[in-house]
Amino acid sequence: MINHRYSRQIMFQGIGEHGQRLLSEKHVVIVGAGALGSAASETLVRAGVGRITIIDRDYVEHSNLNRQQLYTEKDADMTLPKAQAAKNRLTAINTEVTVEAVIGEADVALLENVLPADLIIDALDNFDTRMLINDFSQRYNIPWIYGACVSSYGLTFTVIPGQSPCLHCLMEDIPLDGETCDTVGIIGPAVQMVSSHQTTEALKILTGQQESLRKTLLSFDIWENETSSIQVEKLKKEDCLSCGEQATYPFLEYANRTKAEVLCGRNAVQVRPASRQFLSLPDLKNRYHQEIQQENDFLLVLDLEDKRFVIFRDGRTIIHGENDKTKARTLYQKYIGG
Amino acid sequence: MIKVLFFARLQEELGKDNMELDTAGWTIDELKNWLEAEYNLDGVTQTMTAVNEEFTDGSHILASGDTVAFIPPVSGG
Repeated sequence: MINHRYSRQIMFQGIGEHGQRLLSEKHVVIVGAGALGSAASETLVRAGVGRITIIDRDYVEHSNLNRQQLYTEKDADMTLPKAQAAKNRLTAINTEVTVEAVIGEADVALLENVLPADLIIDALDNFDTRMLINDFSQRYNIPWIYGACVSSYGLTFTVIPGQSPCLHCLMEDIPLDGETCDTVGIIGPAVQMVSSHQTTEALKILTGQQESLRKTLLSFDIWENETSSIQVEKLKKEDCLSCGEQATYPFLEYANRTKAEVLCGRNAVQVRPASRQFLSLPDLKNRYHQEIQQENDFLLVLDLEDKRFVIFRDGRTIIHGENDKTKARTLYQKYIGG
Repeated sequence: MIKVLFFARLQEELGKDNMELDTAGWTIDELKNWLEAEYNLDGVTQTMTAVNEEFTDGSHILASGDTVAFIPPVSGG
């Protein structure tokens, strides 16, 4: 018992043998494999959650390494998709946990495909998808934990369908672009702080101890030594379109989602194919074999018109060196299809 | 007096993390609009607002001794 992998957390009165068994039966979906996704997935995999699905659309870069704890220089050198690199590392940490990597954009179809799930952890970097997660959680009655951070500042809130207000109740006007790490920077401890709160709430939910949840929106600045724990119960709105009595889940509508999206602060645009009409990676390799900069099992990097095209198997492409959505879409149609 | 706390980008734009203001009787929306105009505080109208650690909406009327926190809904992760 003393040397058992989980002995120290079973000794903890909040978990015990029963809690540990419950953890091993649960499935957690982590949306985003950046800084928050790295931290949450490592904590939950070490804690012995039964199954983790980690979803991400991006690949590892050197600028991620100051805070995205799962990744190494080698992952960045190889341009590995984050979900795959995360799976490699998480499986090396704990082979008892089933880890599924999903390389792609977290849309409704993809999320439905990974159900059933006991909990969703938000490790995203944009409000577009975060609001979709909010509605998805209400639609399928799955708790989710909002978390976000920039510079030395962080925010987190736990949404329990049917009990707490949802993120839509709290944010009547959805910010078009909240601040991101790419515009104002970030330090690792701010990530760890948000993630500590997210994963502690996760352990409570997964072991059936909802009475211990924090119930407030937590906001802190770890550099300025400020913390606020804000009461939000009064904000639950009966007429909320996402969680009210007549909910229509407006953010699940595909029309609310953009097909070309500027990746803030990165001088890059992501383009997703509108149809299945795009060239496959082997076709692209044949056609542009002189322009290949790098390739692996998951993606192809091409240098076309002085722009860097990172093309994933599902046709999704991140075009670096372009900030204009229309121009990016034109480039996409010219070289890849759609 | 009202104590106003600023986080994240608002703090950087202002160059300080708090202010004491004589704005008892104002609504939150009035305070936000005034801050936006007076300090050229971009985006203060898009923040969430807590008064004395409780979430409020824009129509809430401030009383002397209140502490107001403007919480920017950041998205990084």
